[in-house]
Amino acid sequence: MSYGLALIYGVLKIINLANAGFLMLGAYLTWWLFTAYHVHPLLAPLIIVPLFFLGGWALERTLVRRVLGAEPIISLLLLFGVWLVLQNLAYVIWTGDTRSIETAFVDATVALGGLTLSVPRIYVFVMGALVLVALQLFLTRTFLGRAIRATAQDRDAARLVGVDVDRVMGIAFGIGIALAGFGGSLLSLLFSFTPDFGRALSLKSFCIVVLGGLDSIVGVAFGSLALALAEAFGVRYMPASLQNLISFVVLVVVLIALPKGIVGTLRALRRG
Amino acid sequence: MADPVLEGRGLTKRFGGLVAVNGVDIAVERGEILGLIGPNGAGKSTLFRLIAGVMKPSAGSVAFNGRAITGRSAHDICVAGVAVTHQIVRPFREMSVLDNVMVGAFFGHRPRPRGRARARAAAMEALTVCELADRAGAPARSLTLAGHKRLEIARALATRPEVLLLDEVLAGLNPTETDRTLELVRAIRERGTTIVMVEHNLRAVRGVCSRIAVLVEGRKVVEGDPDAVLTDQRVVDAYLGTAHA
Amino acid sequence: MASRTAAAAIVLAALVAAPFLAARSEYAIEVLFLIFLYGAMATAWNLLGGFAGQVSFGHAAFLGIGAYATTILISNGVSLWIAVPVSALLPGLFSLLIGVPAFRLRGPYFSIATIGIGEATRLIALNWTSLTGGASGLTLAGAPPMLQQYFAALALLVAAVGVAAWIRVSRFGYALAAVRQDPDAAETLGVATTVVKSQALFLSACILGVAGSIYALHYLFISPDSVFGFSTAVSFVIMPIIGGLGTVTGPLIGAVVYTFIREQLAATLANADLLAFGVLLIAIVVFEPRGILGIADRIRALRKRPAVTVADG
Repeated sequence: MSYGLALIYGVLKIINLANAGFLMLGAYLTWWLFTAYHVHPLLAPLIIVPLFFLGGWALERTLVRRVLGAEPIISLLLLFGVWLVLQNLAYVIWTGDTRSIETAFVDATVALGGLTLSVPRIYVFVMGALVLVALQLFLTRTFLGRAIRATAQDRDAARLVGVDVDRVMGIAFGIGIALAGFGGSLLSLLFSFTPDFGRALSLKSFCIVVLGGLDSIVGVAFGSLALALAEAFGVRYMPASLQNLISFVVLVVVLIALPKGIVGTLRALRRG
Repeated sequence: MADPVLEGRGLTKRFGGLVAVNGVDIAVERGEILGLIGPNGAGKSTLFRLIAGVMKPSAGSVAFNGRAITGRSAHDICVAGVAVTHQIVRPFREMSVLDNVMVGAFFGHRPRPRGRARARAAAMEALTVCELADRAGAPARSLTLAGHKRLEIARALATRPEVLLLDEVLAGLNPTETDRTLELVRAIRERGTTIVMVEHNLRAVRGVCSRIAVLVEGRKVVEGDPDAVLTDQRVVDAYLGTAHA
Repeated sequence: MASRTAAAAIVLAALVAAPFLAARSEYAIEVLFLIFLYGAMATAWNLLGGFAGQVSFGHAAFLGIGAYATTILISNGVSLWIAVPVSALLPGLFSLLIGVPAFRLRGPYFSIATIGIGEATRLIALNWTSLTGGASGLTLAGAPPMLQQYFAALALLVAAVGVAAWIRVSRFGYALAAVRQDPDAAETLGVATTVVKSQALFLSACILGVAGSIYALHYLFISPDSVFGFSTAVSFVIMPIIGGLGTVTGPLIGAVVYTFIREQLAATLANADLLAFGVLLIAIVVFEPRGILGIADRIRALRKRPAVTVADG
């Protein structure tokens, strides 16, 4: 179950990394879904995805572009500022009260071979997997996808081979934010939320990326699985409130032992 | 050679399926200027990085003054007495030229200057040797390319190295600047520093180096007297490409 | 330089005299106290964040450890003279422990990891109820007289600024600047970057620990959310950025602005202050990353003929 959730976190991270280090995004958008959710849960993404795509694109054109030349920490700070604004705007507009979506769908369960599975979780898992696969196909098979990857690796080289880097950056950013929005939308089906929602998630997605190595979607999938397993394991032994610590502890352990992430280390070992 | 100051044995570096440096043996004589040449991609810069500790070798060993330094960190190796310059210059952009060199003076080979005034004096000395003393107060980013290259050298020189690894310090310079830099290299050697230079400018290399080693596709192909090496058929083939049989 | 030291001395003298001159205005004393405290915290953070260039969003952990250490020790009858040094050392030791894995990460990745560190310490404090009282927090019986607190905060500020000023022109300062601008090049010049970063972290953690002590003795109530909270950690980042990242006086200026905005806005609407800071942060990052001091530099440069100057502050 948490694998599906983890997948989503991982997906958010990958696109952000494709934008060379813009990392805070996933978090702020997930809670933005407050508003759409008071409307219609399952259909909300139809509104959210395009809206957020435009928002992300606009953000890139106006603000992000200006700090591209500076050190990466500057863009981090910028996005952090954006996140602060959004989070506190949410507090101001919707207050810190916990919100959740209450519909029949959310409580639905289905019996499958002796197990009672929650329908929303299955839905989220499936959607998460679909998105991941779609993303992988997009990035590897389409021209635009490859253009994005090229730009992420080397902006100047991409320009030299004819990629319209400005347009690509805007689009990539837009996709990243749209995905974050979509992810948050899905998650709102499963959890109740406050404006603080994004923070724990962004930590987890970061953890997934470190676990899985920074470069590949396969790595992300692997990292998600690893984290999900660790959490499932931890549930048995730790009080619920410490759940979030698990990802952090895993992160610290991995960083001490394997600086390149698990996938990176495996790759290095294979090469010899 | 008896008692080389720097010796690499069987140095190898693999990146995935690519072998950048393949079992290279290299011995540097004290007080010489050794040239390291080869076509692009031959592994010369990588070899430097292995020696300087910037990268760990996949196999092989490096010894400095008879003591193994393989696998030690870059800062340890600099403190031991081996300094390296960067092919693509990396000045500390927000500092002045003098401050850049002071970093080297403060942190290089021991004994280190105690106190800011002494470090400053040591840095100015390095700058004077490199003919940058008049630009000492200027921001590092205001230098021309030739200036940047000399700053790289001055900074590394300020760490008081016994061996200085110069990575393509002539790249991008016009003939006048090239000659000036070669003079600088000779002057540094006169002061007692052993030098290894990676270069593409074959004429320059012939003029200043006492020996030349040639790397092709990660392997050392030939080594010895500059004139002999540069006319060696293997070297000519490597640079010009062999004719199809 | 001399004129600057003279100016600083005058300001210091004024601040020392202030509580006696303005004895009636408790509010003014309180505000000054807060400025001193925030200023010290911002300066401490700036050692790692501004000088060494490692932006941490988790420094609240050190404040919290210091605050809890003091509260717990004093509640158990330990003298202030022991409690404060312990409150300084404990976060320092913790920082060394955390630094080892954290410094394996570079730039933005390090920063994100620090969010986790801050969050983790908050969760630990929240759950280790036997030690920390959990969510209900801990209280202290009585506060030292305000005058004492005022001078303690001022002393801490002077110490912090003193350390920062000394570092700026010392060998250590050169190492930090090198690490900030190009850690790999620094390594090849003999700078042990991880050691240098750890030293900066240790110093900032210790200063924050003492700040935590002063905080606890002032508010007499601490809870995981107040001292380990994310908004606290965020304030440490915002203050130096507003004033001038990586400078000696920047964090102070930022502390003044921060205190001012906070006092004005927090009363009106909860979270409005953080909102304002978010906007301010965006504006600064986009238009003048060097903060208020950067703006001042620009104004000064416009006034006279542009000359080649080495950045200073």
